[in-house]
Amino acid sequence: MIKQILKKILQYYLKFVTKMVLFIYRPTVIAIAGSSSKVFVKDEINRVLRESGVAVRSNPKSFNTEIGLPLAILNLPSGYNSYIDWLPVIWKAFLALFRSGFPRYLVLELGVSDVRDMKYLLSIIKPEIAVITDITQRYLEGFGNMDELVGEYEYLVSSMSKDGLAVLNYDNFRIKQMSESARCKIIFYGFNQGADWQAKLISHSDSGQKVEIKSPSGTTVYNINRHGQHHIYASLAGAIIRNYVELEKKKI
Amino acid sequence: MYKRTKDLQLSIIKQIELRASKYPDVVSLAQGIPSFDTPSAIKRRVENALRRGVVAKYSLSPGLPELRELIEVGLAQENMFYDWEKEILVTAGSIEAITATVLAITDPGDEVIIPGPTYTSYREVITLAGCKPVFVPLHESKGWAFDLEKFREAITAKTRAIFYCNPNNPTGTIYTQEQLLGLAELAEQYDLFLVSDEVYKDFVFDDSKEKIFSLAEIPSLRKRVIRIFSFSKAYAMTGWRVGYVHSDESVIKEIIKVHDSLVTCAPVISQYAAMGALEMGEKDLKFFIGEFKNRRDLMCERLDRLGHIFSYIKPNSAYFVFPKIVTPFNKGGEGDLKGGFTDSWKFALELLDKAQVAVVPGIAFGPNGEGHIRMSFGRSEEDINKAFDRMEKYFK
Repeated sequence: MIKQILKKILQYYLKFVTKMVLFIYRPTVIAIAGSSSKVFVKDEINRVLRESGVAVRSNPKSFNTEIGLPLAILNLPSGYNSYIDWLPVIWKAFLALFRSGFPRYLVLELGVSDVRDMKYLLSIIKPEIAVITDITQRYLEGFGNMDELVGEYEYLVSSMSKDGLAVLNYDNFRIKQMSESARCKIIFYGFNQGADWQAKLISHSDSGQKVEIKSPSGTTVYNINRHGQHHIYASLAGAIIRNYVELEKKKI
Repeated sequence: MYKRTKDLQLSIIKQIELRASKYPDVVSLAQGIPSFDTPSAIKRRVENALRRGVVAKYSLSPGLPELRELIEVGLAQENMFYDWEKEILVTAGSIEAITATVLAITDPGDEVIIPGPTYTSYREVITLAGCKPVFVPLHESKGWAFDLEKFREAITAKTRAIFYCNPNNPTGTIYTQEQLLGLAELAEQYDLFLVSDEVYKDFVFDDSKEKIFSLAEIPSLRKRVIRIFSFSKAYAMTGWRVGYVHSDESVIKEIIKVHDSLVTCAPVISQYAAMGALEMGEKDLKFFIGEFKNRRDLMCERLDRLGHIFSYIKPNSAYFVFPKIVTPFNKGGEGDLKGGFTDSWKFALELLDKAQVAVVPGIAFGPNGEGHIRMSFGRSEEDINKAFDRMEKYFK
């Protein structure tokens, strides 16, 4: 019981400090949500942003829930189950308010395993961009049915402001439908005909995959030194974000 | 009847353990199990899974997708790139991975080369599959290294695979990149599979080495190399029975058929434990490595004091020392054995019976292991000291 109370206090303390930090430094937040492949999409977006020369921070490991997300934003480790290990974390969280060198971009996985998890996470961050990777039956156990699970991701897309951008997996029917309730700009990505950014596997070898990506501005061939379709999706999302960042730079 | 099992034997390690269990005050340096309990972070992950009611049903046969994703991410950090959906298979410990692999890649009558001394169960699994294990001796004088020419000489038209353990159990040897690449050349030349059992890969005691080299890092070998890992040793999870095997899709799609018929899927509760290990076990793993290094040094110090009985090569990895019995030892008296105890079985039994210390006879690890015994420093410092106090008294 005491442990639960202390956990709640810690959760709300970290939330408060994180909101203060975000208010002070105002980074661009890219949220990545979905049942699977979040880590691969996050890593790819991280990579393309670094390549574009911008400072970026993202969640280490699976720091993507009510405690983990603030720790990821504040760049702090977890004290896990040790009261002693949490003490320096709590102190460093406070110091984060005054630390210089906060990154320009945050690329953050959002993990949901129960109803209203997304609402809580969005009470901490306000993403400018949201990427929905995939929705499967994974993590369904925390929800009454598939509609409730999908509802979490719908909430994210419908919460985006009209200046925001939602990058949606066109190949997943439930994700595609989310555009209907969105106010923000939508970019669809996937393999299926009709996606704004469409991938086609050209070849697969021991060293990886060769992929053609068609976008509104033309066709580009990518060599991906990873195996599996999920890396092609990640590359698509990465290419969209790269394009977005370059356009933003031009605007400035 | 029993044709398939007539040539099998219960692993000598298990036989020693069974005998040892009859001695109430025995100190066991026999079984390769860490003395630690599973880290609490891993247990909490499992408790959470139990509370959420997600462990009662089968998982997909290759394993929980979220676990396989984590495995893919971990492998990529070690320069190995495999698709979690098609190329990573979660198994009921490494022994199930070994069994499923051997049954998938061989036909009855094939030969499988294993360097000796090495892990005792390879022989049994290969025999169970109707194949012939062919031992190729490692060079003790060269720190238990490979001799590639010996491998080449052992290859016949029936050879299907080379099965090795790196770091090696029981010698704790880490094979060099050069040696492994030599093995890969042979495999390419003779069209063989290379099965790399890397369950001790995290226990590297040489500060200059960050990680061991694996042939699974080489893209051009991915259809040839089958790599096996278990959570048992690294995260003190021997009782959970969970590990994984990975290789090219073309190989895994065959292994999964055997896996499905053997176990359907790895225990789901253990798969959640494995997720806990990958997500939160890093700190505990570092602690274990430090502890095992200290225990290795302790065991070597104690072995130095028994220099008239044993010589040994200090291991750089795993948690075993594999000392050679240098002096035929005979205490004399009734029941003692003529000509001393260089026969490792008799030596181990004598040590168990007279000193109540359990060790594994070297013959368990192949013909080349004869004349040696395996001692595990996975046990606590207290157990190691107690065992050596008894041995010193006995050998006085």
